[in-house]
Amino acid sequence: MKKFFSLLILLALAAALTAGCGGDKKPEPQRNAGRVFTFGDTTFNAENEEPDVNPHNAYAGWACIRYGIGETLFRYNDKMEQEPWLAEGFELVDDLTWKIRLRDDVAFSNGRKMDAQAVKECLEQLIKVHRRARGNLNLAAMEADGQILTLKTSEPEPSLLNYLGNPYGCIIDVQAGITPDGIVAGTGPYVAKKVIPSQRVELEPNEKYWGGKPQMEKIFVQTISNGDTLVAALQSGQIDAAYGIPYASYPLFQSDKYKFTGTATSRVFFGQVNFASPIMQDKAVRRAIALGVDKGAFVKTLLWGYGEVATGPFPDNFTFGGKNLRTEGFDPEKAKAELEAAGWKDTDGDGIREKNGRKLRVRWLTYPSRQELPLLAEAAQSDLKKLGIDLIVNNTADHNGVVKDPKAWDIYVSAFVTCGTGDPLNFFSTVCLDSSTKNRGGYHSDRVEALAQEMKGTFDRQKRGELAVQIQQELLDDAAFCFFSFLKMSMINKAEVQGLKAHTSDYYEITKDLSFK
Amino acid sequence: MRLGKSRTASGRVRRWLWILTALTALLLLAVYGAPFICPFDPQGQDLSRSLQPPGKEHILGTDQYGRDVLARVLSGGRVSISSTFLLVAVISVFGSMSGVYCGLRGGWPDRLLMGIAELCLSLPGIILAMAIAAVLNGGVLGAVGALALVSWPKYARLARSRTLALKNSPFIYAVRLAGDTPGQVVRRHLLPNILGTVLVTAILDIGTLLMELAGLSFLGLGAQPPTAEWGSMLSSGRSMLQLYPWLVLGPGLGIFITVVLFSLLGDAMRDCLDVRRVP
Repeated sequence: MKKFFSLLILLALAAALTAGCGGDKKPEPQRNAGRVFTFGDTTFNAENEEPDVNPHNAYAGWACIRYGIGETLFRYNDKMEQEPWLAEGFELVDDLTWKIRLRDDVAFSNGRKMDAQAVKECLEQLIKVHRRARGNLNLAAMEADGQILTLKTSEPEPSLLNYLGNPYGCIIDVQAGITPDGIVAGTGPYVAKKVIPSQRVELEPNEKYWGGKPQMEKIFVQTISNGDTLVAALQSGQIDAAYGIPYASYPLFQSDKYKFTGTATSRVFFGQVNFASPIMQDKAVRRAIALGVDKGAFVKTLLWGYGEVATGPFPDNFTFGGKNLRTEGFDPEKAKAELEAAGWKDTDGDGIREKNGRKLRVRWLTYPSRQELPLLAEAAQSDLKKLGIDLIVNNTADHNGVVKDPKAWDIYVSAFVTCGTGDPLNFFSTVCLDSSTKNRGGYHSDRVEALAQEMKGTFDRQKRGELAVQIQQELLDDAAFCFFSFLKMSMINKAEVQGLKAHTSDYYEITKDLSFK
Repeated sequence: MRLGKSRTASGRVRRWLWILTALTALLLLAVYGAPFICPFDPQGQDLSRSLQPPGKEHILGTDQYGRDVLARVLSGGRVSISSTFLLVAVISVFGSMSGVYCGLRGGWPDRLLMGIAELCLSLPGIILAMAIAAVLNGGVLGAVGALALVSWPKYARLARSRTLALKNSPFIYAVRLAGDTPGQVVRRHLLPNILGTVLVTAILDIGTLLMELAGLSFLGLGAQPPTAEWGSMLSSGRSMLQLYPWLVLGPGLGIFITVVLFSLLGDAMRDCLDVRRVP
């Protein structure tokens, strides 16, 4: 009897074990006439400062533009050059005054016409609540006259139109208000009907959309932060497309049933040095980290080639990109020599260097929602150990909290779109200056401040590029930042999905063209 | 006739116990003697050898960092098994001692400690352990500490109930009348009578606690990279399960074999000691 029960339990276990290994015929989720699209995304959450679809909330407000809810006055083309979107054109009256002519055929999803007054109200609200936008735009006054919006800046702002193309520049009807869960009335092809912050967005077509008829009846954007769950969801058919599939799983989708869309981006994986940390104030340590991590092997093996080695903050193909910079590649021997010269020696033979009785221990703060970052941390840990640096990795979803405590980390490694406005100043003004909102390590350089100030007042594009190169060189010479690699952004969707295309800016995902075959 | 049968059964149990002990010793030998069995550094990366399938050079293949999976399984076993032994030792010693103390002392210390124990038992153990491990910032010792905090009450209650049953036994009265101090009573008479039960429980718990520790590491609350540990190896390999199954095969088998072995060993030891018949 006992044997019989044992056998029965064994059979039940075997059946349970093999239950998930069925054939290709999986039950499809319930669909509404085939025009319901479900998109799995790893980044719609507070961890990525994208908790809802309000473009004025948190750091970026990317969800509003990514999911087709909001649009900006100007947008970027595939070469990251600007072109009008809600605007028809502009005129630079003088160094401080811009006249923007708005389209006459645009309405918000609630029916209100988008005129200069509505845009003025939106921008007023933006600079009131959004510190970064306030610093970028430098708006001193605004005037609305029909479809003509006049913007006056407090100082010359050559990048103004670039900044207006940033996701936070999505034009929303502030008179319609913002619901507690962050729903806004935009001008995009889709309207957010329900938002569960950090979890889910339900979209329906904007019947008043000026650009044509949106194709989908309903769209669900589902946060699936775990890459493996995302893979399983796409394989099982629960979602139609995915953003953030782990590279290692790409071969699973290389068949006729799926399509890939990818593009090189300026999203860089980079480290910000904490200058409040005594160990990081030693330039030899900072240089050792920059010289000691094998970026090429990281890109080739751990990013499966879906990336590009970074020299500086901008990709090589940009006019002011990495090819203009003087820098050194992977050189562990030189890193060792510099550490030795700075007095870091392994005196107790444990493989870790010491100086004045202090171990060369560096705390590396990063986060898991960008799947590449933990891989980079572990690869760097191994590379730097060979130099005698003990890297302590803190890979936490609470990185935004930890980074606020300067005693809790030495280098903060994150992902950042450096040229999301098509203009280099955005990176410097966000990350490198005294006034930057994301200068987490407290970096300061008189020369960088002066060059950035000069750049702010320079309208000539070539001159701006030259200044950008000089600033980058300063950052590298100070070893204040470590730039590891750029990401090639990819999305994978079912073969029957049309109109989903990765964009260099990483902004525009759901558009009116999204449809099923 | 009955006696003869019982002797035969007892001999079989003892043989089975010896076999299991030998297998367990072999497992421990493999895990603790890993550097002599497998020449590869479990933490040494070589990205040019990334994700090689099992072969002559790398018996269990390599992971995405080009590390030898066998070396990591053995090294991970050392971490997993050592931390489990440490955990079991801590909770069994502390739990038993506090249980004996409560049983003998009674009064408010008994009520206080047993109240805490019941509080711990009333909460879902693994959830509480996850919360504590997160507060302790993860790490192997953090995970051990977290599980220790939620697992000791079982031993405390076991030891207390045995102590309550024994302390009024005639033989305890006898040794007290003979002049034994309370310390001697505990050391010479109570503990030896409780030891068998605690030992068998501890050995049976090794498998369960090993899985719970691996579970915490799987969730990123235990061993941290680059330390190899079976749970964290399963976690990092799961995204590649469909394409590179050898990444999870090794640690999975490691957990399976260890849990089965210690469960069988505990059962065999219980049968051998026959702790159910202890008064």
